Amino acid sequence: MKDHLERRMTTTDLNRMTARNVQVYYGQNHALKDVDVDILDKTVTAFIGPSGCGKSTFLRCLNRMNDTIQGASVEGQILLEGEDIYDRRVDPVQLRAKVGMVFQKPNPFPKSVYDNVAYGPRIHGLARSKAELDQIVESSLRRAALWNEVKDRLTAPGTGLSGGQQQRLCIARAVATNPEVLLMDEPCSALDPIATAQVEELIDELRANFSVVIVTHSMQQAARVSQKTAFFHLGHLVEYGDTTQIFTKPRDPRTEAYITGRIG
Amino acid sequence: MSISLFLLLLLALAAAAYVAGRARAEMVAGGDIRRLHSLPRQHGLNLAIAFALPALVGYAAWRMAGAGGGLWSTLLILALGAASALAVWLALKPETRARNEVEAATKLFLIACSVIAVATTIGIFLSLIFETIAFFQKYPAAKFLFGTKWAPDFRGGSDLGVIPLLWGTLYVSAIALAVAVPVGLFAAIYMSEYASPRVRALAKPAIELLAGIPTIVYGLFALITVGPMLRDWIAQPLGFGTSGASVATAGLVMGVMIIPFVSSLSDDIINAVPQSLRDGSLGLGATPSETIRQVVLPAALPGIVGAVLLAASRAIGETMIVVLGAGAAAKLSLNPFEAMTTMTVKIVSQLTGDTDFAAPETLVAFALGLTLFLITLALNILALVIVRKYREQYE
Ligand SMILES: Nc1ncnc2c1ncn2[C@@H]1O[C@H](COP(=O)(O)OP(=O)(O)OP(=O)(O)O)[C@@H](O)[C@H]1O
Ligand SMILES: [Mg+2]
Repeated sequence: MKDHLERRMTTTDLNRMTARNVQVYYGQNHALKDVDVDILDKTVTAFIGPSGCGKSTFLRCLNRMNDTIQGASVEGQILLEGEDIYDRRVDPVQLRAKVGMVFQKPNPFPKSVYDNVAYGPRIHGLARSKAELDQIVESSLRRAALWNEVKDRLTAPGTGLSGGQQQRLCIARAVATNPEVLLMDEPCSALDPIATAQVEELIDELRANFSVVIVTHSMQQAARVSQKTAFFHLGHLVEYGDTTQIFTKPRDPRTEAYITGRIG
Repeated sequence: MSISLFLLLLLALAAAAYVAGRARAEMVAGGDIRRLHSLPRQHGLNLAIAFALPALVGYAAWRMAGAGGGLWSTLLILALGAASALAVWLALKPETRARNEVEAATKLFLIACSVIAVATTIGIFLSLIFETIAFFQKYPAAKFLFGTKWAPDFRGGSDLGVIPLLWGTLYVSAIALAVAVPVGLFAAIYMSEYASPRVRALAKPAIELLAGIPTIVYGLFALITVGPMLRDWIAQPLGFGTSGASVATAGLVMGVMIIPFVSSLSDDIINAVPQSLRDGSLGLGATPSETIRQVVLPAALPGIVGAVLLAASRAIGETMIVVLGAGAAAKLSLNPFEAMTTMTVKIVSQLTGDTDFAAPETLVAFALGLTLFLITLALNILALVIVRKYREQYE
């Protein structure tokens, strides 16, 4: 982790990730076509678009989770700090430690709440002592706005939490690993307005140090938390730009139709 | 009337009752089946059940009471069913809840099936108990349970200590499991987590083939190949003895035989672990093997314990491989290259040939059988405890 920190401080390139001409195929199905997106440093980027347009697919390209899907193939170029992540020399395991992910469906491990959050730190050796690990677990749960609800049942199974609590547990789990880029696939889809506000606060807080990419179906949320927005439609990247520009002066008629609720 | 004829008649009449029930329901509905609480076919089924159930129960009771299946008594029983069906037929109204009645009958049928399974186990257990009690009246239980010598003699004065047989059984099974559990589990992990679908589609049936080979063929393999090989290459050079038949031979071959029990079941169970859990772990930067060890295997543990247990029961009950691979001499020894034997082998040898079912030398077979039964029962309970403990921790 140390050298990551140093590298981060010396980097002058504002682009943390750059995707150029990305194509994704699921077997014969050409799911993503010619996508060019920049993920900027210390910025929240929102992906919006109707269901099935390829938002999750593109998100999974960014940390090579598509590798685990049979028959999926990715073409084009995706750079993380100037390095092609699909290069043969890049270890996807290390990549995923740097580019963390919160999945669309909550997927807590069948372990205790504590062990769920401690999973990443343990694997990557982020804590030198039990006390330090406790500290990481607590602060991660606090940041995911879950601490008050689970602080008395840290040894209870994570799978026994409610749907929204599980989702926040998965957010805490991802935050605990201390990634440089955090990919969040509809992190608030199962949350009530209070928890949603807390998670949005967390996203804003994470922006101080990391890049955050968030997929959302809520235009308001995209407008509230993001600085950059990408609009996908039928596998194409239709428009990418400043959030304010996308929401006030969209260039493409399809974008305008979507954000005003006419297609979707 | 023979049972098969009776059943045939019963089936035909039940079908007739079904048709009658349907027709009656359609009639009371007056052409508009929406007026009915239940569909016509449910009324039909209800009527068929109303006929068949009393007839079947009556027939079974009649037979169990020891009465023969005479023509008149059989007809009487069928008439009983017909009367019950007629009562239902007459009472059929649009609001009759035939659907719920059929549901209740279905439940009854399912309960009956599980009772059959449990009752069989209890029946086997009881028959073993009675014979075992008869044995203990002729031979002291303490000498059987703690005797370290097995030397049956039909002329009298036998030593029937179970310890050497128990030792042989556990020793052989332990070696078999020591072979099968790691090999089977790792093969399952490879097949489910690493192998491409093509390789898996080939490897899985190939491994399962091992379970299809008759045990006598394994026995021959142990006798003519593995036994001499172990003797010439390991036992003799290292000074462990010169016996071709040995615990190690039987255990090794038996281990190969039960590999598919572990691998095939574990593979299915590991495959059933949701992909989202793997994704969650990989997405946090865990390697595939870390993911398997820390997420997939713990989630699959209860099923894997079950698979291992099934394999253990197979090993404990195996006879043929032991006869040919380990010999038939009851011995209490630590040396794995020594010939030994197991309880199942001795059950067979005590019950074959000229047997006198009053002699303790014969009755001991039932005591051995009961011991085997109790061992497998204990294994099952152990597995339950392990699974429950794990569940408490995680779920
Ligand atoms: N594992 C897969 N195998 C085959 N096709 C897939 C797979 N995952 C996604 N697809 C296809 O790729 C396309 C894009 O799917 P994706 O999940 O990226 O949509 P999305 O934008 O995330 O939608 P939603 O908002 O509903 O989550 C869809 O047409 C889908 O059918
Ligand atoms: Mg999606």
